[in-house]
Amino acid sequence: MPRIGVFVCQCGNNISSTVDTAKVAEEMSKLPGVVLTEDYKFMCSSPGQDMLKETVAKNKLDGIVVAACSPHMHEKTFRKAVEKAGLNPYKCEIANIREQCSWVHHDTTKKIGTAKSIDLTRMVLERLKRNKNLTKISIPVNKRALVIGGGIAGIQAAIDIADGGRDVILVEKEPSIGGNMAKLSETFPTMDCSQCIMTPKMVEAELHDRIQLYTYSEVEKLDGYIGNFSVTIRKKARFVNEDLCTGCGDCWNKCPFKADSEFEHGLTKRKLIYTPFPQSVPNIPVIDKERCPKILKDKCGLCEKVCQPEAIDYTQEDEIVVEEVGAIVVATGYNLMDEARFAPYGYGKLKDVINGLQFERLASSSGPTGGEIQRPSDGKVPESIVFIQCVGSRDESKGVSYCSKICCMYTAKHTMLYKHKVHDGQAYVFYMDIRSGGKRYEEFTRRAIEQEGAMYLRGRVSRVYEKNGKLMVQGADTLSGSQVVIEADMVVLATALVSRQGADSLAQKLGIGYDKHKFYSEYHPKLKPVETITGGIFLAGSCVGPMDIPESVSMGSAAASKVQALFSADMLDREPITSKVREETCNACWDCVTACPYVAISKKEIKNRKGEVIRMVANVNDGLCTGCGTCIAACRSKTIDLAGYTDEQVYAALNAF
Amino acid sequence: MEDQLREKAKELLEGGEIKVVIGYGWNNRKTRITPVFITKAEDVDKLVFNALCVNNLSIYLTRKYKDIQAMGKPAIVAKGCDIKNIVVCISEGQVERDNVHIIGMTCSGVVYKQELWQGELKDNIMPSKCHNCDVRNPHITDSVIGDPVDFTPPEEPAGMLFDKIREFDSKPASDRWEFWNEHFTRCVKCYACRQVCTLCYCERCITDKNQPQWIETSAHPRGNMAWNLIRAQHLAGRCTQCGECERACPVNIPLNMVNSKLALTVKESFGYRAGYDTEEHPPMIVYKPEDEEDFIR
Repeated sequence: MPRIGVFVCQCGNNISSTVDTAKVAEEMSKLPGVVLTEDYKFMCSSPGQDMLKETVAKNKLDGIVVAACSPHMHEKTFRKAVEKAGLNPYKCEIANIREQCSWVHHDTTKKIGTAKSIDLTRMVLERLKRNKNLTKISIPVNKRALVIGGGIAGIQAAIDIADGGRDVILVEKEPSIGGNMAKLSETFPTMDCSQCIMTPKMVEAELHDRIQLYTYSEVEKLDGYIGNFSVTIRKKARFVNEDLCTGCGDCWNKCPFKADSEFEHGLTKRKLIYTPFPQSVPNIPVIDKERCPKILKDKCGLCEKVCQPEAIDYTQEDEIVVEEVGAIVVATGYNLMDEARFAPYGYGKLKDVINGLQFERLASSSGPTGGEIQRPSDGKVPESIVFIQCVGSRDESKGVSYCSKICCMYTAKHTMLYKHKVHDGQAYVFYMDIRSGGKRYEEFTRRAIEQEGAMYLRGRVSRVYEKNGKLMVQGADTLSGSQVVIEADMVVLATALVSRQGADSLAQKLGIGYDKHKFYSEYHPKLKPVETITGGIFLAGSCVGPMDIPESVSMGSAAASKVQALFSADMLDREPITSKVREETCNACWDCVTACPYVAISKKEIKNRKGEVIRMVANVNDGLCTGCGTCIAACRSKTIDLAGYTDEQVYAALNAF
Repeated sequence: MEDQLREKAKELLEGGEIKVVIGYGWNNRKTRITPVFITKAEDVDKLVFNALCVNNLSIYLTRKYKDIQAMGKPAIVAKGCDIKNIVVCISEGQVERDNVHIIGMTCSGVVYKQELWQGELKDNIMPSKCHNCDVRNPHITDSVIGDPVDFTPPEEPAGMLFDKIREFDSKPASDRWEFWNEHFTRCVKCYACRQVCTLCYCERCITDKNQPQWIETSAHPRGNMAWNLIRAQHLAGRCTQCGECERACPVNIPLNMVNSKLALTVKESFGYRAGYDTEEHPPMIVYKPEDEEDFIR
């Protein structure tokens, strides 16, 4: 006969206001196998836990049910407590009579709540009677990390992990690390030069003994599990030997062909052998294989002729590298929304309508104009600029429902940069609301409006059109209640931040979740903001949602600290809630193999004494299995069981209802 | 055609690699067609093939018949429809493709039940699988016997069975429930449907599992419903509608109707038909990161 104790928690009046906990305890005491019940005010309090421990030890209990809040809250607490009392932690089960009972029933006569609590607790009790002792699964940890994305968040995470004495692999899709931050001119609210604070970080990452850079590379595939990932990386062909190249620039100076520069967002041209920008890390060019005539039709070859170290190699092919790591930080950043969706604003059609990142390049001293604000069509210094906020943001019909968060701030910054460079220029800003929450942010926008003369108009722009060489911006000024048409030389759109193109396919490769906007999902938005549902994979920066630089940096460091914590032990404990195959009845139909989202099930040979294979059965890798239960649903012969949630246990619980 | 078949069987058995030819033959009184297992070249004359050869012999390849498996590599006489079952068995690891010689028979249709035979194959005695058959020239074979058959199946599945399904679909749920309740109540739990099914090859059937016992084993309406519905679900996306379960049922439950309906649903929802690809598992049971449905990501 089992010796089970049932502990009913009142949770102050959270539970007791709609559940008669004493009655629940009394009913439970009548059931076979229950030797003791307790009705207690706060089971999770220290005295509550001590009482639990003492009672378990004194009465030699072999199992306990705590009828309390959701197992998400205190299952760990109580399991730890019974473990200290000498019981297997998996002999402690939680009956959720708070979230699933007292909180959803408002009957103060306590009739419904009590009856339901009795049912819930009895079901868990019957399940518990069939619980087996389980032992945590121990797996080794490979103490190397992978960081995907070499923007500020990724660089920060990589440096922090490396500084903690662990090897880091930093993978960047573009030819240089730096990301979007490397494109910015000044940064709000301190107005320090972005490149001046960014490039030292880039160089630090490049020169760090423990960081290995893979630029112009992409993650192709991920196998394995927390502590033991195996990453397949595609190093795209640069057509330049990285070991020989000195970055002298002879090749790109001589290259006779040009294409639109991605880094400059099409404001200027780059050569077909190029580095994205002068401070690129590494300072090794790539050849644009989509356009280079030498690669397309074997004509030209000038760069090879001028390259003294003979680093040019037109025959180079993509290289596949496999790296073993124990943890991953995903920091893939954002894209700007495709402005083509906003035809009335003339982006793409009217040359002097540009987006925020293009304005950053115009204002940047390393940009195409050397920091002078010139309009793209004719190079004229604009006498007036209209900034339009919320282009695509907070616009469910044409754009996205969310606020892109940083546009209010960078638009204010843009008006100031413009004012500082063109003293008699006039900036106009069309806005919906000014959102400037953050340290010194509100003061910053006030300064733009009150001291730097930007004219803020509350309202939306309906269209932008050309008239007599000027851009006419027609919109509403809702504060004065009038329609306005403003004559401008240039229009800057604060376009919405959206998830990085291809974010969804990367998430599928990594097995992490994402929302409807394809931003990656945190494990818990408040309490586990850098974790993902997949153990060992962490998030940083604006791949999670629009984020400014300080937030991205803190998140990079936060993810790094999570990685450090993971790497602090040699072995890692995992919950033993995994699938178990009963080999005798396995049909070897492999439905479980095809159904498993985690590639945790493989085919195992059963051999006789002579070593001959007599049959095949399914085999679950405990390290990979997450206990999701998909294979159990797929198995027709009911050969697979989930430890802790076996068929027998579930059936007993259902039967107890 | 039969001469050709016997010739092939003889050649295979004499070749030594094939140990048994699973085919059709007459019973002793020459009144019914019955399965025959030819192990000696001199016995090949027992093999026949005609419109009475409705049985799906592929079941003899499965682990249910360990004695036959023990004989060595088999050759099997199979119509296109039977080959579909072999294909599912291959994709589910039950039969190794290299470990079976498929003698594909071109076919102009068979009778639904041998008792219906009156010397001529008419449309009204053929099962609906024959009316809609796209494998009269067998699709996956090691050798083919017979002349090519010229037949194009209708675009929409035709025949009595499908008319019945379409009519049935238009009825309210309560009527449909009533219909199946009535039929399943009559089930005597003899498990003939399971025993005759190639794809019910489980080492231990779920109905035989008693720790815990999900399905009541007595012939009680509740257990009957559970058994029949679970069996149908276990066949969804796998069943090739060979109709053997329905033919075997002693109380005439229209089992092929529920199986065919499920097959239509799977085809509609996922564009998948069982029995055409030796590599594929049914789409409901395959995790692919690029799946269109995003509920699992």
